[in-house]
Amino acid sequence: MVRRMKAIRFSLLTLLALTLCCSAAEKLRVSSFSTILTEVAEQVGGDQVIVTGHVKPGVDPHEYEPKPGDLKKVGEAQVVLLSAKHMEGYVGKLKESTGTKGAIIEVGDRFASLKMKPEAGHEGHAHAHESDEDPHWWHSLACMQKAVKVVRDAFSKAAPESAAVFNANATKYLAKLDALQKWTRAELAKLPRDQRKLVTSHDAFQYFAKENGFTVYAIEGLSTANQPSSKKVAEIIAKIKAQGVKAIFPESILNPKVLTEITRETGAKVGGELNADGLGEGETSTYEGMYKHNVRTIVDGLK
Amino acid sequence: MRGSPLLRALLAFFAILALGWPLRELTGATDAPRTQPKIEAAAEEQEISLKLDFTALPRAVKVLHLGKEVWDETTPPASMERTLQLAYPEAGIDLQLQIEWPADAPLAAVRVTFTDPTGETHEKSLWGQGSVDDVVTFP
Repeated sequence: MVRRMKAIRFSLLTLLALTLCCSAAEKLRVSSFSTILTEVAEQVGGDQVIVTGHVKPGVDPHEYEPKPGDLKKVGEAQVVLLSAKHMEGYVGKLKESTGTKGAIIEVGDRFASLKMKPEAGHEGHAHAHESDEDPHWWHSLACMQKAVKVVRDAFSKAAPESAAVFNANATKYLAKLDALQKWTRAELAKLPRDQRKLVTSHDAFQYFAKENGFTVYAIEGLSTANQPSSKKVAEIIAKIKAQGVKAIFPESILNPKVLTEITRETGAKVGGELNADGLGEGETSTYEGMYKHNVRTIVDGLK
Repeated sequence: MRGSPLLRALLAFFAILALGWPLRELTGATDAPRTQPKIEAAAEEQEISLKLDFTALPRAVKVLHLGKEVWDETTPPASMERTLQLAYPEAGIDLQLQIEWPADAPLAAVRVTFTDPTGETHEKSLWGQGSVDDVVTFP
């Protein structure tokens, strides 16, 4: 009797292990090289996908280089998501060294680009010399909606049996983005249109600016690694004064001495820190959280 | 060099004084006003006209400008018009509309007709069901 019970228990455990193993095997394996696309993949894929986010929140995607462990994961992935618009300078290496048979989806390349301003300083960004395309498309909600559709279609092609689930999940996520767009319009309506002037140290907000009626003045040469000339600082000060800009949004790379000089000379205050290059921690760990944080910071700074 | 130490000290003092005056003139702050860049003036309030036409009667409607309520109506008629004093910069104006249609009412719309201070008319429409909170931008 005891032997029989043991046999039944063994069979049940084997069955359970096989079920778990098969269900994991059936899931679509996705590799993502953007914190934003990792969220999109998880939202659209739901429980039908296993997503590996290679670029972690808070990591600068401009500086990121894949490690051997990443390449192994990419080799096993059925879908590889890249932010693109020349953000991932290592894309050739990914294709060559992994020999992946998975679909490599350069999401940002599926929609129109804004051009980087010729004078825009983008220190430390590998892509700055390779292309004049602005890679920061995720600051546009319209681009974000297109990206969701690109991911939905890529997943549906790779796993047609789950297409209905991907479609339903994408529809739900798109509705969330619609609501976020309405919230943004209402929030920005508190700010007069003639005060929508954004002075940042990192020219990452062109897509946001175009969508929301802002003019961007990116300050170049203000990183701790690059001292701007006094002529350049004087030009920036004159521009801020002439435009009546109330706040500047420096991010962490700004040289504190230059920042002090600019704020003292112009009377502009220092706005909060904007999240430019992807998801962060805490409040900014989700796309909605990041976007709302940026909008609130801008409105509070310029009101 | 020989001579009285007192005389030498006096000579040195006058030499410093003589050099100090031009140095002060060259490096000191001037009283002449610096040319300040021209700062863009904030837009002045001007008279604009706003007309709202509803396809279905709402229970309430509010119009907000820069987060402040500028028009509030309960059980408004199908068409209503009001003149408002609002800042109207060249860059345009955002008006936030909060409309309460009955929850069971079908999809409804409001046409917003905005007449700017020059007399030019602009139109925008908003569609919605139940509670609607959205922004229209003019021109």
